[in-house]
Amino acid sequence: MDEWKPNPAVKPHKKRSWYLAWKYKLMNQRALRKLCQTGAVLFLLVTVIVNIKLILDTRRAAYEEEEESAQDYDDEMLNVEVPRHPVNNKKVLDVEVYSSRSKVYVAVDGTTVLEDEAREQGRGIHVIVLNQATGHVMAKRVFDTYSPHEDEAMVLFLNMVARGRILIFTIKDEGSFHLKETAKNVLKSLGSQVAPFLSWRDMWTFVGRKGGEVYGEKHAKSPALSTWGDPVLLKTEVHLTSVEDAECHWPDTELNRRRKRFCSKVEGYGSVCSCKDPTPIEFNPDPLKDNKVFDVPVAVIAGNRPNYLYRMLRSLLSAQGVNPQMITVFIDGYYEEPMDVVELFGLSGIQHTPISIKNARVSQHYKASLTATFNLFPDAKFAVVLEEDLDISVDFFSFLSQSIHLLEEDESLYCISAWNDQGYEHTAEDPSLLYRVETMPGLGWVLRKSLYKDELEPKWPTPEKLWDWDMWMRMPEQRKGRECIIPDISRSYHFGIVGLNMNGYFHEAYFKKHKFNTVPNVQLKNVESLRKENYETEIHRLLGEAEVLDHSKNPCEDSFVPDTEGKVYVMFIKMEQEADFTTWTQLAKCLHIWDLDVRGNHKGLWRLFRKKNHFLVVGVPASPYSSKKPSSVTPIYMEPPAKEEGAVAVPAVAAAEQT
Amino acid sequence: QNGAGFSKVRGSQSGQDSTRWHVVRKFLGLLSSHNIPVYLIDPLILGLVDKDIEQIRSSPDGPSPECKYFCAPRDFTTFALLDKTWKHEGGLFRTAEKMGFQWLKIINKDPRLDGMDDLSGMEIPLHYIFKLASHAIHLVVFYERSGNFLWHGPLRLKQHMDRKFVPFRKLHFGRYPGAYEKPELLLVSIDDLKVQIPKNPSSFLQEMSHSRFLECRYREARAFFQLYPDDASLDAVEFRKKAKSLLHLAALTLNNLGVKFWLSSGTCLGWYRQCNVIPHSKDVDLGIFIRDYKADIIPAFQKAGLPLKHKFGKVEDSLELSFQGEDDVKLDIFFFYEEDDHIWNGGTQAKSGKKFKYLFPKFTLCWTEFVELKVHVPCETLQYVEANYGPEWKVPVKTWDWKSSPSNVQDNGVWPVDEWDDVIQIY
Repeated sequence: MDEWKPNPAVKPHKKRSWYLAWKYKLMNQRALRKLCQTGAVLFLLVTVIVNIKLILDTRRAAYEEEEESAQDYDDEMLNVEVPRHPVNNKKVLDVEVYSSRSKVYVAVDGTTVLEDEAREQGRGIHVIVLNQATGHVMAKRVFDTYSPHEDEAMVLFLNMVARGRILIFTIKDEGSFHLKETAKNVLKSLGSQVAPFLSWRDMWTFVGRKGGEVYGEKHAKSPALSTWGDPVLLKTEVHLTSVEDAECHWPDTELNRRRKRFCSKVEGYGSVCSCKDPTPIEFNPDPLKDNKVFDVPVAVIAGNRPNYLYRMLRSLLSAQGVNPQMITVFIDGYYEEPMDVVELFGLSGIQHTPISIKNARVSQHYKASLTATFNLFPDAKFAVVLEEDLDISVDFFSFLSQSIHLLEEDESLYCISAWNDQGYEHTAEDPSLLYRVETMPGLGWVLRKSLYKDELEPKWPTPEKLWDWDMWMRMPEQRKGRECIIPDISRSYHFGIVGLNMNGYFHEAYFKKHKFNTVPNVQLKNVESLRKENYETEIHRLLGEAEVLDHSKNPCEDSFVPDTEGKVYVMFIKMEQEADFTTWTQLAKCLHIWDLDVRGNHKGLWRLFRKKNHFLVVGVPASPYSSKKPSSVTPIYMEPPAKEEGAVAVPAVAAAEQT
Repeated sequence: QNGAGFSKVRGSQSGQDSTRWHVVRKFLGLLSSHNIPVYLIDPLILGLVDKDIEQIRSSPDGPSPECKYFCAPRDFTTFALLDKTWKHEGGLFRTAEKMGFQWLKIINKDPRLDGMDDLSGMEIPLHYIFKLASHAIHLVVFYERSGNFLWHGPLRLKQHMDRKFVPFRKLHFGRYPGAYEKPELLLVSIDDLKVQIPKNPSSFLQEMSHSRFLECRYREARAFFQLYPDDASLDAVEFRKKAKSLLHLAALTLNNLGVKFWLSSGTCLGWYRQCNVIPHSKDVDLGIFIRDYKADIIPAFQKAGLPLKHKFGKVEDSLELSFQGEDDVKLDIFFFYEEDDHIWNGGTQAKSGKKFKYLFPKFTLCWTEFVELKVHVPCETLQYVEANYGPEWKVPVKTWDWKSSPSNVQDNGVWPVDEWDDVIQIY
């Protein structure tokens, strides 16, 4: 069995979700202690493994180096006979591609365009796309086809690359384990003879023109399961075509000029660069009548995920009532491609030199972006804050336009957010319904300038404090008991799966089943009832109307809620004091909603939908609404499962996966 | 058909230049075809317009019998453009070229991002020049800044630029950056051209003569904070917040009275050295020329909720007012007396009646942006700060004795005892 684990010290990709689970669970003291114990044992184990591996690696590396130099020499000898000068005015590119267990590189005309020898990353198939006329690198991707589903992403990407482009492939470490038939066939259709037979720990390089000739391919088979194929170095030449041949002939308009600039620089955006029928880059959604947020600046916080940014901006610019002139994209770092995307859509972008690391870096980027937003739009009383991995609902601005006056007038409000943490497919129902919650969901929200300028900006965590900005904003010192307004059905959708705190596993469990409004022009119901005092009246009315559920049944069972529609039900759970979320967390777990920390509560009350009925949960006796509990009803108590070592996040994720 | 009308004028009246009129007309046509609103800020034309303003206001559509304003032979005519009213589309320039205009764009860093660590936006256009035949249009781009005012940038040529494109030195805007109130505009017809002008041309011209703007020295401020990390304690945050709101209140009160003031002493040092309020300074300091003194000042502050804390000196000599702001933060207003070769303000020690004099080299006033406010500071800030704090002003000092620490303090005798009741008032 052990032999089937390649690179045992490469950490499984689940580690991000572990990190997240930690982050949220750290508040829990007991979990913390357990965690420390587990942590210590794990640490010991890892240290031992790393040390053993280090010894093995050093030996192997020394061996490998000898081999590489030998190979280099060989290739030099062979290459002597190849004519090095361009013939017939055609420009020729020299391309070198290297594939090995621990290092890959690609050099074009002597310039290294890819070099990856970092340990424990960059595993899989590296793909580089060159412009066939200029030789410029248009895209660089790595698909970890040792892991599942990455081959699908690669196929998607390769299909989007325009015909005629030069494609360069090279494998680092392992690239075949989850490389399925479909992907192999795509590679084969590009002209690769080896791809169909690529197997465990083979080394492979390939250079070809999409839909055209093959410039070279090299392959080294792995002799045994426990070892890698020998490093391969491919040296070849690519003939460049004329610029006209490499470009599309779109009508000469302002938009197409932007499109042309974009499409000659980058690849992997599919139909936006299609010659025949390019997808529009201007959307002109219907304007909003009486749009109260037309002059509100929109700050899009971005990193280096240009494809995400592209998807995000498309949805943002398609939302009714959008005002592109108010949008600024803040890019964390000097990355070119996100800026290219921003320019494609004719928006303004600002780059930010990173000044810290990890979470603190994100936090500093947020601060700089917010400050800059209010500097650039000094008249603004609010700013809309978005992230690059969100889809924006078609009625996002309509939703804000109808609710923003509350944020202006009701000082007990902290924010308006487009995201309902508990709004899953099976728990959200009413697009016209709003809630007040004590938590700050983020993911598309409105910030009041006075809150930022007077309170947050002056004491924003400094770079040496490695804090998450959102966690910091949720702390009682900042929130000061204020609440956020959220919709029942979210107006944003979190699609990002590669991020600092995000991976596919985690996304699948907590975000994929989130409900997202697609109905335009939703008229929000009873907005005035969201004001502080009015909301209490509203809640009392609801509780008065609500039917008390049968507390002898198991609340996790579907039958707990009758098969009705449009009714209001209430259940009472045990909640000894304000911070006692024991039962709630268990309930959230079995309802398959957010359970990593407590979200969406208002004075010990949660509101969601079950089977199209409004479903209220009151924590007794901590909630002031406890008085609504009939004396005959005993609040339900749900015990947390007996803690197994290291079982902190797994049950929740596993549960969510079953849905 | 208008053009034809004035072509005739050209022959009949010497010293007239219908080229200018034609170029302006073409330019206005170009911009309106792209829906870009501009307004006239040419000081020479506005000066002429101001004389006839009543008549022009009363007949916004009337045909003009002669070309009075746009035909005086000049090298250029100046217009303003509000940045937020247009979309920066390249189409404008292509149309301009087709119409025969040559154009030049002056871009530079965005000062609104300058104060921020490590942000680099796109450079922003500050000035455009459109040239046709012998006439040029200078289009000044105005930006909204924090503090509810408009800002235009300096005009600086980069190396590769054509220095002879227009006589740059003669341009009315661009020698310095400038700060302006947001103007009310009026659509008028002058010389048969429909054009927007500031509603009150004379006050615009007045404003223009004092519009010079100084940017805070953000880079130096950053260097300062590298050396002396900022105080981020809760007290410091609270004090800054109070000082900011006190300054906003003081500015509102004095602006309503029409009294010109500037940042002085510690507040000025805070702006100049660190682009922020010095958290351990404990008060807000303003300067006012004694010639701008008004008796309404004290009641106005009291009405604004700031009671008088003390009043030292008198209008003729060493006047100084102090108002009590929220929780211990006080507002000190020093009145400045102008002499032939220097300017001074006075100080008084309450218990002894001793007088002090603080001397400054002469200075003029510039606008700046400070804590989301458009305020005045001495243009010659370095001399001002050095006079007050000496050459070591860059080093923060926590203990400061206003009677001995300033490097420009002089003993100035003692108030006669019989005047004490008047010149030493403490509340």
